Amino acid sequence: MDGLVTSGLLALTAPGDTGWAVFGAAITCGVIIIGASYGLSTIGGKAVEAIARQPEAGGRIFLTTVIAAAMIEGFTFFALLICFMTVFWMRGT
Amino acid sequence: MSLNTAVLAEFNPLGPITSAPLFTFSLGHWQLVVSNHAFAVAAATILLLIGIPLVTRSKKQVPGGLQNLIESICVFLREQVARPVMGGHTDRYVGFVWTVFFFILTLNLLGMVPTEKIVELLTGKENHFGGPATANIWITGALAVVAFFMTHISGIREQGLWRYLASIAPPAPWWMMPLMYFLEMISAFVRPFTLAVRLFANMVAGHMIVATFLGLIFVFKSYGVAVASVFSVAALSLLDLLVAFIQAYIFAFLSALYIGSSIAPEH
Repeated sequence: MDGLVTSGLLALTAPGDTGWAVFGAAITCGVIIIGASYGLSTIGGKAVEAIARQPEAGGRIFLTTVIAAAMIEGFTFFALLICFMTVFWMRGT
Repeated sequence: MSLNTAVLAEFNPLGPITSAPLFTFSLGHWQLVVSNHAFAVAAATILLLIGIPLVTRSKKQVPGGLQNLIESICVFLREQVARPVMGGHTDRYVGFVWTVFFFILTLNLLGMVPTEKIVELLTGKENHFGGPATANIWITGALAVVAFFMTHISGIREQGLWRYLASIAPPAPWWMMPLMYFLEMISAFVRPFTLAVRLFANMVAGHMIVATFLGLIFVFKSYGVAVASVFSVAALSLLDLLVAFIQAYIFAFLSALYIGSSIAPEH
């Protein structure tokens, strides 16, 4: 989060308004990661609790965990891609 | 900003991932440019078309080795992934699930092999021979388009055109139907799009992290950083290998889920 804020603040010194766009993109990356990590940690915690309640179902619970984690990562990467593309568009102009 | 430009001047982390033209076939006005990703797709196609029938040709009761591996994966995909969602229609559509899984897995694993460095070692020429083919949004987009057409065509085939269109929206009061259809139309296009972007972004992220860590060696130019970087790259490459398998499985599982939900009439 530190590095993102620093690079975002450095971007504000760029000429024109491109610095504000890069600043927004950098801060947004951090916020996106907060949301994704909250979701994934919830999944991990509930999966561990479920396996503790019924160890025989460990295989199915693990499979469900992996599927749910991949789903969340999917749209997290999509949002991160948009922030990334913003930075590259602003570098072009 | 100066650190960014200093890093990029030494090494571009997106360099090994992008597609570069390798050779061009010209036929009058028409030109066919073969890029390294297209070459990887062709290589995966030939490998799978020739390799899998060759490996699974023996009819022993208890297969061994590579045949056992491929058949176990196929049985797992048919029984645990396709049959719960497709029910009686599994045998018709399981071929698609198998194809998608093995194709994406082969492309991902071919992307883990550093072919451009091997070719540079052997021939001494700087080239851009091999990159991860699934780190190309057009290739994953094409796979998602195929999955899109498979879901809707299979639904229309099983239920007939009008019943399929009627079953798209879940049952709701008549005044809510336009909204339900609107939402279902949006989700019909968003689902393949997320399929493509999920696979693409996972592959790009994995390879970009590995490339960035290796590029740090060129930026800092010190032995300590090189040792730490190579160890980190080894660990991250293992994680990338896990992600390759998981993403292939997720694509196959979601394709099976979408096909299964489109061929079953919503009650």
